[in-house]
Amino acid sequence: MATVFMKWLETNPKDYERGIRLITLGRITRIREKIAAEYVKPGNQVLDLGSGTGELTRMIAAAGAQVSAVDASPGMLDEAEEKIQAAELDQQVRFHQLDAAMIDEVFEPQSFDLIICSMVFSALQPELQRYLLQTFPQLLTPNGKVVIVDESLPKSWFNRSLYKLRRGALTVLTWLLTRTIFSQPLADTRAIFSKAGYNTQLISSYLGSSLTIFEAQPGSVPVEFHQLVGRLHHAPSLLTLFKDLLELFFRIMPPYPKTKAGLYAVGQPDAQSAVLVTGNYDLTVRRLVKAIDGKLNAWVLVVDTAGINVWCSAGAGYFSAEKVISAIKTARLDKVVSHKTMILPQLAANGVDGWKIREATGCEVTWGPVRAEDIPGYLDRQGQKTEDMRLVRFPLLDRLEMLTAVLSFYALIILLPVLFFWRENFWPVTLALVGIGLFYAIFLPWIPGKDGLVKSLPLSLIVLAGYLVYSLLGPPASLQTEFNWGVGLVGLSVFTAAELQGCSPLMRGEQANWIAEGIIAIVLGLIYFLVPATLGWN
Amino acid sequence: MEDQITNPSIRDLIMEHLELALTLKKLRIYFDPEKCTGVWECLQVCPVGCWEADQALGKVIYVHAERCIACGACGLQCPEGAIELRV
Repeated sequence: MATVFMKWLETNPKDYERGIRLITLGRITRIREKIAAEYVKPGNQVLDLGSGTGELTRMIAAAGAQVSAVDASPGMLDEAEEKIQAAELDQQVRFHQLDAAMIDEVFEPQSFDLIICSMVFSALQPELQRYLLQTFPQLLTPNGKVVIVDESLPKSWFNRSLYKLRRGALTVLTWLLTRTIFSQPLADTRAIFSKAGYNTQLISSYLGSSLTIFEAQPGSVPVEFHQLVGRLHHAPSLLTLFKDLLELFFRIMPPYPKTKAGLYAVGQPDAQSAVLVTGNYDLTVRRLVKAIDGKLNAWVLVVDTAGINVWCSAGAGYFSAEKVISAIKTARLDKVVSHKTMILPQLAANGVDGWKIREATGCEVTWGPVRAEDIPGYLDRQGQKTEDMRLVRFPLLDRLEMLTAVLSFYALIILLPVLFFWRENFWPVTLALVGIGLFYAIFLPWIPGKDGLVKSLPLSLIVLAGYLVYSLLGPPASLQTEFNWGVGLVGLSVFTAAELQGCSPLMRGEQANWIAEGIIAIVLGLIYFLVPATLGWN
Repeated sequence: MEDQITNPSIRDLIMEHLELALTLKKLRIYFDPEKCTGVWECLQVCPVGCWEADQALGKVIYVHAERCIACGACGLQCPEGAIELRV
């Protein structure tokens, strides 16, 4: 059930398109029309970087250009492809599902007369911006141009305040209506391109110069950038405590707190130090740093995995070989270390194709231990993993942690209706839910059954036995009440065991139990309504 | 334009997950020992210890099928295409 909720919270292409119109107050349409009308000539080769749902792609193709539309999201590309086919422009558009950092591998030098980045740059890490700024000149024909449409922070104090007020309100509204969050605006679009040696010109600006179109032409001398390396420390504070609590109780509810992707130094690493690759969920990075800070000097390469932990992001396609290759290239790792060995978390192996990375970068990929705590030991042993380092476990502390994370979400779904419609039983139901959850989490390894659904049978029996003892010793109640509680407790037990399967690393996902769960719910519902009716209870 | 835009309904999402429910339990590993050349990647990445090395033969053996959680890591990392996770 949690997965359906999370899926719903994910942005889908149509939402994204609505979001972009909302956050630009509809100006984006006018801007797209202007670009298609003024910049595109029939026969031009155009690169639409970050093509999204293909609105701009369609307009450029309709203006007669040949378009290469690049986007990292398969969902966006599907949507765009449908749109282009409906407009019968498929002869003019080629779609590429690509991370932006791969464009120099896919396209030949001097392929494009025009490169368009519409609402793209603000969403990119500085490393990736820098990489693109260096790559564009190679891909452009001698007189080629880059056109950048993006939000940028207005210069004047008045406009900036006005923009911040409006953007704040729009951000909330856009999230509520479309569940899309747009990145912060660029601090200074012109400066980004000018510093990279481009001749940059403002074409037009909208909404108090918070939404701008710039045109940039590469300069004749390529500019060398200095290396961007961050630092990470293990430094517990009130802020990290707050984050720990937030990430405990809201673990499964997006948006997930992220660490900025990129290359970081832990300790005093040098050219020979190990490179550890990881995902960009805030807790993931902090736990990794906690495990190694003070024990060793290493480089940590944080890959953009949409703020999702290593295993889940790899399973869901957010942590992929392309993402790692892109991170290696944009961090310019070859300028930092002299060796070519990357240590990837073992649990990324279900989504990151190691051979693709070896082929594309010439790097040696090794699969590190499952747990970050084992990294110092793993490095001491020259990268030899013991069996213990390879196996996932689910110890008591982890079980309690996951129970808390899951219950804090389900508590909302189950307890809020109880609070509103069945107020007198709020505390008993809360107690039952927490009690069953705790019992299940603590005794999980000893409850018979291979998966959560099977385990829910012994769990139900134990819970019913517990309730029997309570009703014998406790205050007397009517048969109807006892019956209702019996049915309710079985329901809660099945629900707990079947749903907590999703956070146990030793079982298949909780979706495996969906159908059975539904049938059990229907049967329990029938029992609840039919038994009192047949027995003539009132 | 605006009114043509619709979200995937909760119903679509539930149907998608029911399909997942039907396939998830049936997924299993198909291992072809003929193709195995002893790269040991599967052994390195399996988080539940399904695989063991047969040093004499220079191949892995799929020992603990009952532990498999269908994560698919072994299949993805096998360069010889000897391992497949499917229904």
